[in-house]
Amino acid sequence: MGVTVSAKVIKDFKVEFDERRILGLIGYKKKQVTIKEPVSKLISEEKKKLASLLQPAAVYTIIDYRQTNKHPIFDHAQKVALCICTIGQKLEKEVQSLTQKNELLRALILDALGSEAAEEVAIQSDKILAEKAREMNLWPSKRFSPGYGKWDITQQRFIFGILPGQEIGVSLRESCMMVPRKSISFRINFYKEKKFTTRIQR
Amino acid sequence: MEKEEHLQRMEKAIIEGDRDQAQALAKEAVEKKMDLIEVIEKGYVPGIQIVGEMWEKGEYFLPELITSAECMKAAMGVLQPELEKAQISTKSKAKVVIGTVEGDIHDIGKNLVSSMLSANGFEVFDLGADVKLEKFVEMAVEKDADFICLSALLTTTMLGQKRVVEILKEKNLEGRIKVMVGGAPVNQKWADDIGADGYAENAMAAVKIAQRLIRG
Repeated sequence: MGVTVSAKVIKDFKVEFDERRILGLIGYKKKQVTIKEPVSKLISEEKKKLASLLQPAAVYTIIDYRQTNKHPIFDHAQKVALCICTIGQKLEKEVQSLTQKNELLRALILDALGSEAAEEVAIQSDKILAEKAREMNLWPSKRFSPGYGKWDITQQRFIFGILPGQEIGVSLRESCMMVPRKSISFRINFYKEKKFTTRIQR
Repeated sequence: MEKEEHLQRMEKAIIEGDRDQAQALAKEAVEKKMDLIEVIEKGYVPGIQIVGEMWEKGEYFLPELITSAECMKAAMGVLQPELEKAQISTKSKAKVVIGTVEGDIHDIGKNLVSSMLSANGFEVFDLGADVKLEKFVEMAVEKDADFICLSALLTTTMLGQKRVVEILKEKNLEGRIKVMVGGAPVNQKWADDIGADGYAENAMAAVKIAQRLIRG
């Protein structure tokens, strides 16, 4: 840990997405389900609040394989992009305030919108980093986050040991949970050979 | 309005998620000096039961469940103080201490379980998120609770659920206070491995399991 790297911050995200993306997160099982009142009205109302509650930001760096902790998930990578993104704390505070006012459904909807917004920031960051790989004539992998597959959640400590999360207001708790909660950390391996990646290349 | 009609409208207000109506009917019941226990048991409770059945059939989804639970809460907010004034105690199904374990600040799922248990007649003591493990047991003893519900959303914090079961064993409270666990990384196997009494995949399942555990 403690590798000195130059990290870059991105803040100019345009976070837009179809509100139907939250339906699964708020408990609807069928994608084509018709949303009845008052739920559809609440979704629209909370979506309108979204823009004023988002503080999207990402911090990333690209390191050489030798700067990693040599975890097997980095095998064959020439370089590795590490990224932390967030939508900030404002939305969480509003969710908390709604919960305290017993507006549980609004809280659930806004929380789900926040999750999708964070996902959107991660999607856009991922695209930027994949492009960086291509500029280096390397093949980017898909993005992977700690806690999924063979990359244990405790590997968050590796990411935060390298990346200054505090530059975008994100910190890591002892339990490996990020604060603000609506934050996503991930890595993309950059390979010399295409055969190591399953990412659909453009 | 006849009593039967009044009760039916209460049931309908819960099913349709009409909070204003649920609250207005509760106020009317107080003004008319209706039997408030009967109002709860024959008006509002059947409504929330039907909502649960509709959810099981796939006709209702989580947002409808929450809406109905909020209506129930609004109605109870009117009725409960009147019952207390008259020193009439309602039949609570059981007492539940609930919270998200230490180190974990996720609370939406826990809030949903809390709300659904409350709407279904359980007396809920919600400790919030990032709760010290000993606090669950202390509160359960203090309130003479039947259940402790533990939420954990991380593989690191789910270990706290195990620790609470251990604390109960150390204090010879195992069996007397039952433990239900839930959260994204948790499953039935985990519940069995740590000796928890139940695992709930979602808020409605938590209600069903709690009801089953009460029946023994």
